[in-house]
Amino acid sequence: MGLNSCKSGKRYIIKNINAKGKLFYKLLDMGFIDGAMVEVVREAPLYDPMELKIHNYLITLRKSEATLIEVEEA
Amino acid sequence: MKTKIALAGQPNCGKSTIFNMLSGIKQHIANYPGVTVDKKSGFFSYKDLDIEMVDLPGTYSFSSYSLEERVAKQFILEESPDLIINIVDASNLKRNLYLTFQLLEIGKPLIVILNMADVAERRGIKVDVNQISQMLNCPVILASGFKKTGKNEILEEIYRISNTKDEYSEFRINYEELEPSIRIIKEKITKDYNINKRWLAIKALEGDNFIIEQLSKDIENIKDDLKHELEHFEAIFNKNIQSFLAAMRYDSAEVVFSKSVKETKKDELTLTDKMDKVILNRWLSFPILFLVIVTIYQLAIVYGYQLTNYTWPYLAAIKNFASSILPAVDIAHVPMITDFGIWIVNSLNALLNYLPIFFILFALIAILEDVGYMPRMAFILDRVFRKYGLHGQSTLPLVLGGAFVGGCAVPGVMSTKGIADDRARMATIFTVPLMNCLAKVPFYTLLLGAFFPNQMSIMMFFISTITIFTALIISKVITSTILKTRETAPFVMELPTYNLPTFKGVLIRAVERVWQYIKKVCTIVLAVAVVLFVMLQFPGLNKEEQAKFDKQEQTILKKFDKDISKTAYHDKFQNRENVAELLNFYSDYRAKKMAGSSTADEEFMKKNEFLYSIVRAKTKDEKTINRALRNLDRGRNRILREQKSIRIENSLLGMIGRSLEPISKFAGFDWKINVAFLSSFAARESAVATLGSIYESGKAENQRAEEAMRENSGYTPLHAAAIIIFMLLTPPCIATMVVVKLQANSYRFMILSLFLPFGLAMLMATIVFSLGTIFNISGFSAMSIYYAVVVLIAIVLGLIPEKRINWKGGLK
Repeated sequence: MGLNSCKSGKRYIIKNINAKGKLFYKLLDMGFIDGAMVEVVREAPLYDPMELKIHNYLITLRKSEATLIEVEEA
Repeated sequence: MKTKIALAGQPNCGKSTIFNMLSGIKQHIANYPGVTVDKKSGFFSYKDLDIEMVDLPGTYSFSSYSLEERVAKQFILEESPDLIINIVDASNLKRNLYLTFQLLEIGKPLIVILNMADVAERRGIKVDVNQISQMLNCPVILASGFKKTGKNEILEEIYRISNTKDEYSEFRINYEELEPSIRIIKEKITKDYNINKRWLAIKALEGDNFIIEQLSKDIENIKDDLKHELEHFEAIFNKNIQSFLAAMRYDSAEVVFSKSVKETKKDELTLTDKMDKVILNRWLSFPILFLVIVTIYQLAIVYGYQLTNYTWPYLAAIKNFASSILPAVDIAHVPMITDFGIWIVNSLNALLNYLPIFFILFALIAILEDVGYMPRMAFILDRVFRKYGLHGQSTLPLVLGGAFVGGCAVPGVMSTKGIADDRARMATIFTVPLMNCLAKVPFYTLLLGAFFPNQMSIMMFFISTITIFTALIISKVITSTILKTRETAPFVMELPTYNLPTFKGVLIRAVERVWQYIKKVCTIVLAVAVVLFVMLQFPGLNKEEQAKFDKQEQTILKKFDKDISKTAYHDKFQNRENVAELLNFYSDYRAKKMAGSSTADEEFMKKNEFLYSIVRAKTKDEKTINRALRNLDRGRNRILREQKSIRIENSLLGMIGRSLEPISKFAGFDWKINVAFLSSFAARESAVATLGSIYESGKAENQRAEEAMRENSGYTPLHAAAIIIFMLLTPPCIATMVVVKLQANSYRFMILSLFLPFGLAMLMATIVFSLGTIFNISGFSAMSIYYAVVVLIAIVLGLIPEKRINWKGGLK
């Protein structure tokens, strides 16, 4: 499933990243690699973007980007 | 002995506090040529070692998709530093080590500084420094820029490495499956680049365009070879090289992390978690944001403005000093050099007057940046702004520009630097000047006072809120047209942990930015002031007019002579020079007094006791002369004023104003308004000043500008509404254009930011005025309808769904 449809407060394992180009590099640099653990912390007050915890730091992603990250529940 | 050090680290690792701690305040800031990334160097000495430390922009890695990374990489490659210092956030070690591994591969001596040791400790993170040092085979020092610990250890280590010159044995990660490809590429690199060849090979395989371009200058077919290796690797292992390398580096970071770090409070909520629960709460986030903005506004704009009351006397003193060294005024004949000098000083003072506001503003921004609220602001508002092609990070620039009433576009445009999304950044740069700058406020007040005395507050509400709707519309339009092809960046943004800012760091940044403002803005403003002066001065008065004023001057002089003929001092003022001296003495004294000088009396008494006694008139004769002198002064000022208004009317700018009348009359503007707008281009303040001097009647001395405007201009409130609408959209002033050019790095864009709002302003004012005239609508109704239409358009545009996503891929 896509990271965009994940629930706040739950943890997930990254299975695959379907992004290309710039976004792909950026995600790699920020630690979005296969097998990494992400926790969905919360959604923004207007429901988009979302806040995630990965490698013990906080990061925000718009849902349009989160769609490209394939995860499964940990 | 000299050494050059590069300071590298990920964003939010506290790099600048370490930089400030090591280098002191003696810093040198320059822009990297052609880009808008700051290059900061610090020069300092330790023992007999002269150190140049260059602060590289914060980067997450050394791949090549962002400007910062390109700048950092270029520096290391071209300037070849002797030593690299890598600042690492000890409380966020795993991700930070990702960059450390890439730096180690470069093959230069490296010192790792574990910064924010205090934060890590508080969060129960125990780092085994020796363990890391052993595993990475490089010195590792625990430090805290905030608590100023570790400074001596760092300096000592720099000293030791510079003196021993010990070469590190090459650091290498074993990339297993990729090793054959690395070897093949490495063997092709025969030229000595003064840098580790293995690193170059790895970067080239990683698809780093900058490195590939460098290599392809010397090596034939390198691109084909790389392509071959890439395809080969992907075919055999079914893996993409980039993600393979990233995974390898993260694995290595994981190994170091798990062996050297012990977390005792792993699952406890950190302070940041707790604060975010409140600050990013669905219901509380907006009120808090609002409060923050109001506070910034109150402290910087309102209190800063009050502060200018205290700083203004100093600027006035500069002006007084200038007028004291310039040739003196001869009754109603002002030497042009004097006129020019005063004009220049006034132009500069108008801008320097804002320094206290800027200083507070920049200090507050620095605090917000350091604390970590900025990205959170973007997080909260991104959804709204994105719909109009802007970005969550556009919030601050727009607020600074005056999203409510009263800001300044200069710091607003400057603060767009951090926006990662290029299209949104350009749109923000473009829309910030549309906000209501502080200097427009007196203009509005003048017009509202003159034409809408009863609807003042609701008109002010329209004026202060319509700008944001206008900005949204324009942004939406330009991002879907001229900026359509601009690169957008994915919204991937770190939310750093909350940190207390350091006083020194905030101060340094505020001073730095104020200084940039002074330097860049003042030079340009000076140049434009000169041009404007010429355009307002020439061709000047013709002979008949001059003769007329000479005659008037004679009349008032005769009157003065007659008035004082019976006093004992009559023969002291027989010639023109003496009268001129007295008159100047009198007006200088008054200027000094009005500027709040407490020593004026003493000073003027010393200067000329006789003249002083007349100015302070005690005896009967002195009083008579004093009275006559006042009349003379008033008469002289009237002549000067009339001369000025005729000169403006005759001047080049006046002619341009007149020649625009055939077009501008559809918007209800006569040439006087045109001239005011043209001159306001140098600095907004001039609009009011110019209008004021044009409409001064000279009849009643104490008439307020509002009354003068209402009675002498012949305008109706509908005229005023059209003028206000024009002013709302009016193009950026010179100072703003300079920073637009700086930030957008394009003259074309600067020109566009001048003419598009100008055209639009003209069009809107024309539509409102013409329709208003045809349908006989009052000025207030016209403004209300205009407001409603703009808000409606903004809402409709917001409802249009965005189509743009300019990256490929997705779930199958």
